[in-house]
Amino acid sequence: MKKFVIQVVVIALLAYMLELFLPWWSVAIAAVFGGLFLRSDANFWAGFCGIGALWFSAAVIIDLTSSGNLAEKVAAIMHINETLLIIVTTLIGALVGGMASYTGSLVTRKKAPTSG
Amino acid sequence: MKFFLSLFGTLALILFLDRSWTVGYTRIPPLGKFLDPLNGFWQNAEPRNHIGPEDLRVNGLKQRVIVQYDSLLIPHIFAADEEDLYIAQGFVTAQHRLWQMEFQVMAAAGRLSSILGPGPENAFIEYDRRQRRLGLPFAAQNAADMMVKDPVQKRMLERYTDGINRYINSLRYKDLPLEYKLMDYEPEPWTVLKCGLLLKSMAQTLNMGDKDIEMTNALKLFGKEMVDLLYPDPDCDIDPIVNNPGGWNFDAVNLADVPPALPEGLVGIDPMPKYDPDVGSNNWAVSGSRTATGAPILCNDPHLDTSLPSIWYAVHLNGPGVNVMGVSIPGAPGVIIGFNDSIAWGVTNAQRDLVDWYKITYQNERREHYLLDGEWRPTEKKIEEIVVRGGATVYDTVIYTHWGPVPYDRNFRGDEGLNDYAFRWIAHDPSKEATTFYKLNRAKNYSDFMEALDHYASPAQNFVFASVSGDIAIRIQGKFPARRKDEGKFVLDGSKSSNGWTAFIPFEQNIMEKNPSRGFVSSANQYPVDSTYPYFITATEFEAYRNRRINNVLRRLNSVTVTDMMRLQNDNYNLHAAETLPFLLNQLAIDTAALRDEGPEGIALIKAYHKLATWDYFNDKDSEGASYFQAWWDDFYPRLWDEMLSHPVSLARPSEYNTVKLLKENRISMFYDVQSTETRESLRDLVRTSFATSVARIEKWKEDRELKRVRWADYKDTYVRHLARIEALGYHVQHGGVGNAVNASDRLKGPSWRMIVSLEKTGIKAYGVYPGGQSGNPGSYHYSDMLEAWANGRYYRLAFPKRPEEMQLYLFYETDLNPREKEN
Repeated sequence: MKKFVIQVVVIALLAYMLELFLPWWSVAIAAVFGGLFLRSDANFWAGFCGIGALWFSAAVIIDLTSSGNLAEKVAAIMHINETLLIIVTTLIGALVGGMASYTGSLVTRKKAPTSG
Repeated sequence: MKFFLSLFGTLALILFLDRSWTVGYTRIPPLGKFLDPLNGFWQNAEPRNHIGPEDLRVNGLKQRVIVQYDSLLIPHIFAADEEDLYIAQGFVTAQHRLWQMEFQVMAAAGRLSSILGPGPENAFIEYDRRQRRLGLPFAAQNAADMMVKDPVQKRMLERYTDGINRYINSLRYKDLPLEYKLMDYEPEPWTVLKCGLLLKSMAQTLNMGDKDIEMTNALKLFGKEMVDLLYPDPDCDIDPIVNNPGGWNFDAVNLADVPPALPEGLVGIDPMPKYDPDVGSNNWAVSGSRTATGAPILCNDPHLDTSLPSIWYAVHLNGPGVNVMGVSIPGAPGVIIGFNDSIAWGVTNAQRDLVDWYKITYQNERREHYLLDGEWRPTEKKIEEIVVRGGATVYDTVIYTHWGPVPYDRNFRGDEGLNDYAFRWIAHDPSKEATTFYKLNRAKNYSDFMEALDHYASPAQNFVFASVSGDIAIRIQGKFPARRKDEGKFVLDGSKSSNGWTAFIPFEQNIMEKNPSRGFVSSANQYPVDSTYPYFITATEFEAYRNRRINNVLRRLNSVTVTDMMRLQNDNYNLHAAETLPFLLNQLAIDTAALRDEGPEGIALIKAYHKLATWDYFNDKDSEGASYFQAWWDDFYPRLWDEMLSHPVSLARPSEYNTVKLLKENRISMFYDVQSTETRESLRDLVRTSFATSVARIEKWKEDRELKRVRWADYKDTYVRHLARIEALGYHVQHGGVGNAVNASDRLKGPSWRMIVSLEKTGIKAYGVYPGGQSGNPGSYHYSDMLEAWANGRYYRLAFPKRPEEMQLYLFYETDLNPREKEN
């Protein structure tokens, strides 16, 4: 469990830092890294939760501190409501994160026998 | 194996979420990229007090430029160097309005389909073709070529362009305006040509009005006498802009008295959509002799589309030899309407026919030569390349003659190739308006103002002027062809060069007036001058109501205050209704007793009648009479002129003013019959049917909305819409007024900038408001922060300091723009 929590936190932090310089898909790099080097029992869920939590909290903080009702407007453009927009945002990040960390964890497994 | 599957799945997912998809005509933004809270659209959401950086490095600056934003986010730019001033203006404007600037240029240039795709039924491609065929890029190129010949203009435009490009180059995906992210594209570099395109796009909105095709058809169907009755010149000459009988003491240009020749046959063209004649404006200046402070007051409110991001961008420019404030057009340097320490100026559109159509006779099908004065002249073929996003590039060949491009032909809205018409438009000619604004921004007095206008050709405007030294003036400035009587009203034979514009009115013979004895000057798009002016003047339509209301109020007022002027700009008195409604009610001759027996429908008619009969003719927000009148007129007017609307060739309706006049004089009874019915209608039938239909429509309206009353603000439903028509980015506003009132607010257009300037010797006091906000970002508080004040007739006092230190009271935040290599 502890391992999993560390994995989630590292993925989230690393993704945050990479996103300062790189496009959105850099979250996948962070998740691959987390899956590759910080293996746990639930590698998919680690990336899923790590990126999901990052995107969820960033979206919520922006939504709460901004004043132009932008999320509401964009939700209206997409014919959904604001809450659903935050959920969709979170899920997209989470899904990419989960698949990437899972992919990363598969690399380690394959490499394990040759290196040791 | 599992690894490869997983890797493949992840990459596919990323690729899928990194690109946009079109479903039908809707483009879905790239979902991963767009929804990412750290780089996507969420980054465009700004806190209420979002402030920019304290320092920025901007390439090309010579010295530090101080930019102070006030609480409305209006930038006050202080530069020690003139070139730096325009770099900063370009940079700051782009920072708030980049997407809008570029989108407007793309629309003007006929390049919308490269962003939006072909559109439903190829609507965007057709739009682009229209722009190309009207020669908008051709006009802009001519303007740009001329602009860079003048060193001062060249410097101003190039530095402004540099400023915009510095900003564009500093952008990452994260910083892009929302609309780029939504539509999934990126800004291009800015160019001087794009400034030219914006100018010509303005000319298209304001100076492309014409109904020559419709008039030609009317002439052939109804005859000259009827045309003169239905479409007289002038339509309404009461209260012209300048009334100076016998005061035109100059030698007018003498034109050969050859009547212009008309080509044969009806014109079977389906004309391109027209700009609404209601796009107009008000401006006036009151002399110090009539004001409470003894200082002149100048007012201006241009009526344009009420759109977001707002048409105007307010700015204060302070540099060597200049301290000017007002509104600019995002994408063009300088201030367009505003004031400086010594003078103020404003504009309304000069209604004038500046368009003509010339029938072209080609030598043969190849269209390589056309007939002119008995000779075959070569044409020039221009192949327009229209890039279509997600589709094949469209090529459209446009033929150019010495008259101009030939927009209508066998490939475009023409009738079997029989109707090739070349388009002569004043805005195709090279001109140098940027010089005018450069000089106006720096003008100190009346003679500077006049000199600045000597460089101005298009779009023709009524320039109002006032100075701290006490002068007021108005000048109708533009390049106007000197016309023979009736020239310009109909299409012309393009095989004779004598049908062309052989001479222009010398600028010093344009209509103007300085310090008139009545103590004010004013304009509201009406007929410009008294009957002794020696040139023939015609236009698609002249305004006939706002001008009279403004002048009536100004004549009555004494010791005029700024508050009086605010009240006048927001005046909702509907003179058109006042002159029309009593006549209609009289014709209606309602029989209350009989109606009472007709059940709910009859009762509704009685109630509507009472609301109309007791209405005070003010289109105020709460007025119900205003709604009933508008609904009635909107039904009656087309019903009366159904002959024009239902005819297979294109015809124009007589103006509202002339319609009412002719009705009262009982001179158009031959038009009362409704073509689509068996019976022969009288005027009373028309009035009654339209009344009953409009009341039924309002009843339905109330029922649909579950409302008991039909308030004017609800019925009109002022809508400030987004430039790209994105519904969620627009606002419905409660606002009074109507096109014919001084507060000329219709559903989609209205006063786009209300400005009042009191030119006091102790310092200029200026007030302004516009329907929107300084920021073009829908995620900013300042996207629409002035909207409510605008709708309620309130103003902001504009901070106008001479030095940065004087900004304290108004300062929101400051950003210093620094040269890239800082001196140590």
